[in-house]
Amino acid sequence: MAGSLKTEAVVLRSIRYGEGDRVLHLYTPHRGRVGAIAKGARKARSRFGGRLEPFFHLRLILYEGRGDLLTVTSAETVAAHPRLREDRAALDSAARACDAVARLFETDDPNPQVFHLLRNQLALLDRAPACAGRANQLAFRLKLLVAAGLAPHLDACASCGERDHLSGFSGAAGGVVCGACEASAFPLDADAHEFLVEALGRPLADAPAATDRALRQAERAIGETLEHHAHVRWRPAA
Amino acid sequence: MQAPPIQRLVTELGKLPGIGSRTAQRLAFHILRQSDEEAFALSDAIREVKSRIGLCEVCFNLAEGPRCRICLDERRDTALICVVEEPQDVIPIERTHEFRGRYHVLGGALSPIDGVDPEDIKLAELYARVEEGGIREVVLATNPTTTGEATALHVAEELRRRTPDVTVTRLASGLPVGADLEYADEVTLGKALSGRRAL
Ligand SMILES: [Zn+2]
Ligand SMILES: [Zn+2]
Repeated sequence: MAGSLKTEAVVLRSIRYGEGDRVLHLYTPHRGRVGAIAKGARKARSRFGGRLEPFFHLRLILYEGRGDLLTVTSAETVAAHPRLREDRAALDSAARACDAVARLFETDDPNPQVFHLLRNQLALLDRAPACAGRANQLAFRLKLLVAAGLAPHLDACASCGERDHLSGFSGAAGGVVCGACEASAFPLDADAHEFLVEALGRPLADAPAATDRALRQAERAIGETLEHHAHVRWRPAA
Repeated sequence: MQAPPIQRLVTELGKLPGIGSRTAQRLAFHILRQSDEEAFALSDAIREVKSRIGLCEVCFNLAEGPRCRICLDERRDTALICVVEEPQDVIPIERTHEFRGRYHVLGGALSPIDGVDPEDIKLAELYARVEEGGIREVVLATNPTTTGEATALHVAEELRRRTPDVTVTRLASGLPVGADLEYADEVTLGKALSGRRAL
């Protein structure tokens, strides 16, 4: 169905294409992941300027023809995030956040929650570049798991329901497990467990701090949940 | 169905960037219509470039032999290194005649999304060159894209730590000549404003 689509979007990736064009991977609130081509975007006199670079939050008009790729006909900036672009760690963190979204949400199924999370994460990295790092990235990824319906069980043993002696994490079981159910699990320290609970409960901007060891365990818990239930792998969080 | 040799040529041409299957078909028939001499000139040129051109052992620019022409040129300022992403980025800088130093070609830009990490491009080689001494300034001329900026920030941080006496500069960014102010994006315009000059 040909027509034009007006949407907000975050640019996840921008790939050079042909002589002067760009192919964009976009994440939108109501159309999920969308691919689009911006003709002439690499020419110095392009009316798009530099606003089709990754991490721009845009208001777009896209023309939808019969092909897979939509065509960008107009682009207006909602947020350019200039400060995160000046900070090495924040830029790296923004790239990992966009990559995590691209890998887990590959289709055009709408998921406005994912869009809002990504928008908030980029806004946070722009407002406070110093918060970039593993704890922030893991908190963001946990929230993505929730948006995908893959939230890990953290309040009781994911296998038997036992509420005490929770000492491991099992991706297969989908959460923390007790000493008796530990067979397919790896050990999860109390502070790593607490990090997962707190990171899920708090806003992104207040991601809890934790030791390197706890963060490594939390990252493993998140990674195994994702692999078991979505068959997707994320790149290291930092 | 066409003869296998024709199909093979179409397949190979179709692997070139920007060439779809129909264009590949058209090019293949064009080559078939050419004289032997013309067609072999193309295949010989491909063979020659692949066998004779490699990377310069100093700067990783394209070179015929162990060192590129710029590294061999005694008149170039050896205390000045310009860092670019790809060999083709050397050409436009040379055309300006503004730069009299030498280059360092990284062979890409850092991009965690594409799995390009510091060890995947020629960064260790750059640090070794600068640490060896005799370098006054390193000019970071990676592209003004997100990955190019990330690379420049990474290199600047690392050089400040390793060789604090060496000046690290970045190409200025601002509005391209001939562009319209009304179409400029906010990041570009912001940088153009903060880098404004008195007239
Ligand atoms: Zn149990
Ligand atoms: Zn050289």
